[in-house]
Amino acid sequence: MNSVDASEHYELNATELAPSLLTIVLDTNPHAWASLESSLPLTKAVANLLVFINAHLACNYANEVAVVASHTTKATWLYPVHDDDVSQQQPADADGDVAMNGENGTGSQSNKYRPFRMVEERVTQRLKQLLDSTNSDDLRGNTSTMLAGALTLALSNINRRTIAWAEKHGGADLEDAAGDGGTGGGNAGGTGPGRYSASNDEERLQSRILIVSVSGSSDSAHQYIPVMNSIFACQRLHIPIDVCKLSGDAVFLQQACDATKGVYMALSEPRGLLQYLMMAFLPDQRSRKHLVLPTRVDVDFRAACFCHRRVVDIGYVCSICLSIFCEPPPDNECLTCGTPLDVGDFGSKPALIPRKKKKKKRVNGTSTVGTPMSTGTPPPG
Amino acid sequence: MPRAVRGLLIECDPSIKAMILKYDEDHHEYIVEDLDDENHLVIKESQLEALKNRLDRDLDEKIMQLDESESD
Amino acid sequence: MAASTSRPLEYLEGLPGMTFNKLYQQPSTALAIFRRMLPDLAKCFVMALLYLKDPLPTQDLELWVKAESKKQRDNALSILGRLHILSKTLTSENVSAYMVTNPFADSLRKALTGSEDSQSFGVFSQHRNEHRKSISDLDEYARRQWEGVLGYMVGTEYLKDSGHPEVSLSKGVKQLLQAGHLVEIYERRTEITKDGFAFVLQDVNTQVWHILILYVESAEAIGMDSVEVLSFLFLLSSLELGQSYEKKYLSPVQLRTLADLADFGIIYQRSPDAPRFYPTRLATTLTSDSSALSGTVGSSLNGPAGPQGASGTGSGFIVIETNYRLYAYTSSPLQISLISLFTTLKYRFPNLITGKITRQSVRRAIDMGITADQIISYLHTHAHPQLRKHNAGHSTSNTAGIPPSILPPTVTDQIRLWQLERDRLRATSGFLFKEFTSLQEYQAPCQYAAEIGVLVWKSDRKRMFFVTRHEQVAAFLRSKKEMR
Repeated sequence: MNSVDASEHYELNATELAPSLLTIVLDTNPHAWASLESSLPLTKAVANLLVFINAHLACNYANEVAVVASHTTKATWLYPVHDDDVSQQQPADADGDVAMNGENGTGSQSNKYRPFRMVEERVTQRLKQLLDSTNSDDLRGNTSTMLAGALTLALSNINRRTIAWAEKHGGADLEDAAGDGGTGGGNAGGTGPGRYSASNDEERLQSRILIVSVSGSSDSAHQYIPVMNSIFACQRLHIPIDVCKLSGDAVFLQQACDATKGVYMALSEPRGLLQYLMMAFLPDQRSRKHLVLPTRVDVDFRAACFCHRRVVDIGYVCSICLSIFCEPPPDNECLTCGTPLDVGDFGSKPALIPRKKKKKKRVNGTSTVGTPMSTGTPPPG
Repeated sequence: MPRAVRGLLIECDPSIKAMILKYDEDHHEYIVEDLDDENHLVIKESQLEALKNRLDRDLDEKIMQLDESESD
Repeated sequence: MAASTSRPLEYLEGLPGMTFNKLYQQPSTALAIFRRMLPDLAKCFVMALLYLKDPLPTQDLELWVKAESKKQRDNALSILGRLHILSKTLTSENVSAYMVTNPFADSLRKALTGSEDSQSFGVFSQHRNEHRKSISDLDEYARRQWEGVLGYMVGTEYLKDSGHPEVSLSKGVKQLLQAGHLVEIYERRTEITKDGFAFVLQDVNTQVWHILILYVESAEAIGMDSVEVLSFLFLLSSLELGQSYEKKYLSPVQLRTLADLADFGIIYQRSPDAPRFYPTRLATTLTSDSSALSGTVGSSLNGPAGPQGASGTGSGFIVIETNYRLYAYTSSPLQISLISLFTTLKYRFPNLITGKITRQSVRRAIDMGITADQIISYLHTHAHPQLRKHNAGHSTSNTAGIPPSILPPTVTDQIRLWQLERDRLRATSGFLFKEFTSLQEYQAPCQYAAEIGVLVWKSDRKRMFFVTRHEQVAAFLRSKKEMR
């Protein structure tokens, strides 16, 4: 029997496909949106985003969505919102449900699928609250956005949902996935003999993050370290970060997509946001295997220095902990690890020494910075 | 001129094929086309169940059953 | 795609084109079909095309998919075509292109944006003070009704002596089961058929779909419009659990359907004349994959009945070891009788039964018409969480790059081998093409058949090939002849 036998292991191909969790980080910086007013006002962008969210929810019964606003001074949840947050605005009835009397009377409720409406209501309501609570003091001269905070919120939610899902379905959770290390880590010896195969990835909740970015990145250079940390966390947990860039340029976000194998798109025509979202950002990880998706070839690998948070092309790197400085640190002592650095001649500018460093720097941009996280090199001191 | 014939493509191992060929010798009631390699042939669609039953019966007789003890 | 999707999909595919036109008028139907019937890639295509002003050139779509995923792409496109969702047109520059067909595109857009007035997603009951049914009440009701149906099929005497509340099955339910050849009645005794065995071992979601399709098929016979019934079912699937809905907006056909579905536990209404109805979880999870059911519903529906059923430890209750021993933490007579179909039972304890899967027991099951795949999928669906956890992490089959399985591979392989012992041949129905005069004449159609994926077997030497469908190949041959 060569054709009909069971020599190949019988496997259930029809295993349940894990649903996906889409976390959207929406940059709500009013300055940046104001500049987009003519082509794509915030309200319209949000409307487009909501259709996109609905499309995501429509793809699978169990798909989940989360929306985080990355505002000028804080990062906050737009959806899901915890009950106690909501109850401040709406009286909850006895069984804890929020009374829906408001819309019940309007009769508009019947033409929309319930889950869609829930998200829509919460997001718009919370967004309005957020913008109402923003006063001019928050805005004055503040053109940045709390991306690091938003990413951290997103990541912690993803972690929570993944664990909850794994408990319910007995799949692998994030820690299992992290067990096989970052993709570039190559330290497989650390965690058991190939205990976790890539297929475990398929079985857990499929999470991804979409950043809708409008602010310029040079303003967010002061968040360089936390942002990079979040990116490396995503890389390790195989969570792609997609970036939909409506305006400005985002240095670190390019690196984020590159490191996590996400989709990066800078929209030349913001008006077509919905179509871009539907085409490039809707497919989940499973479908992405089959699709050719836009990625950036020329990734901007610049880093921000640790001393002044400036984005630098050329800098000085501590030989022990790989911290980056735009100028020699005071007292020749590394600001991060305190190692006395012996670069006696740097003041006299013998053109050779800094140039050597800058070359190295350019080639290994991110990976140098990333090493402490992804390979677990113990930082001295 | 090419022709299309309706039927069931049977895939089996050579021993089973030999048995089917033997059944067919008497009345030619099963086979539409013997495909001449080791493990394929085309039979009449209506005869599948009858053929299966006959095979099962004969196989049960011919194949030695492993002694299966139900003890623990 | 999951096996569970195939049955409703097959049914839908068989419908005439006009029916689709009518079906897709409802946003809820478009949404449900989009969600339930399409493979991942097809969903991506639909969504990408949905808001495009112009049709997408075929070439662009082909470029969008990686070359090595051609098979998935063709599969997705073929399903979309068969469901009349995607159609080929020409762009303004006369390039062949794809677009989402209209009633579907419109309805799906409406579903996403909610810009329409028809009550496609049900109307909430305004009544606030009524005696509301809690979700757990509804789950319990659905479980009882559904187990009643299954119990009736397997043999009701099990249920009677275990002190379960008697579930009264209406005549309609029994007739439907009979019409679907799931049970047969011999001299007033109910006997389960081979199909019935296959049916009871499936997961709940598949079972519900099976029944619903049977229902739709039979609806025509009793003078109901099958399209209306079908779109009502899709409407039900988009309702919210724990909410009651007004009946006064429903048409007579829908009301009648509602009454019939109550018998199965798919919806709940206090009495046939009640002004409101509640969808149960059986209805609201219709558009989910089976996995969504195995969570909370599973514990109530698939899991052990009775007080233990509420323990909420997930759906699984079966532990199976590599030595073919099986332990099932259940006291449900239904589950026990299901397990006993393919297991030699040894001991029974108040909350546990033990047994062993043996060659004889599996052969017996196979003789009854149960397939190895069904047994395995039953075991898979009901595997104990501990088994899932354990084997997801430590599967030994990992080494060869095979995904870890929940069940011990030795057991699943052996069950299959036992079936193969019986099944020594594989039959594929189709057409044999032969008597080609030249090799050239043979090669072209043969290659064409391989390309469209219908080729099963070929022999260059004998100039013969076997295909599953002949229409396209025949057309190909004809066009060849005309060219000459």
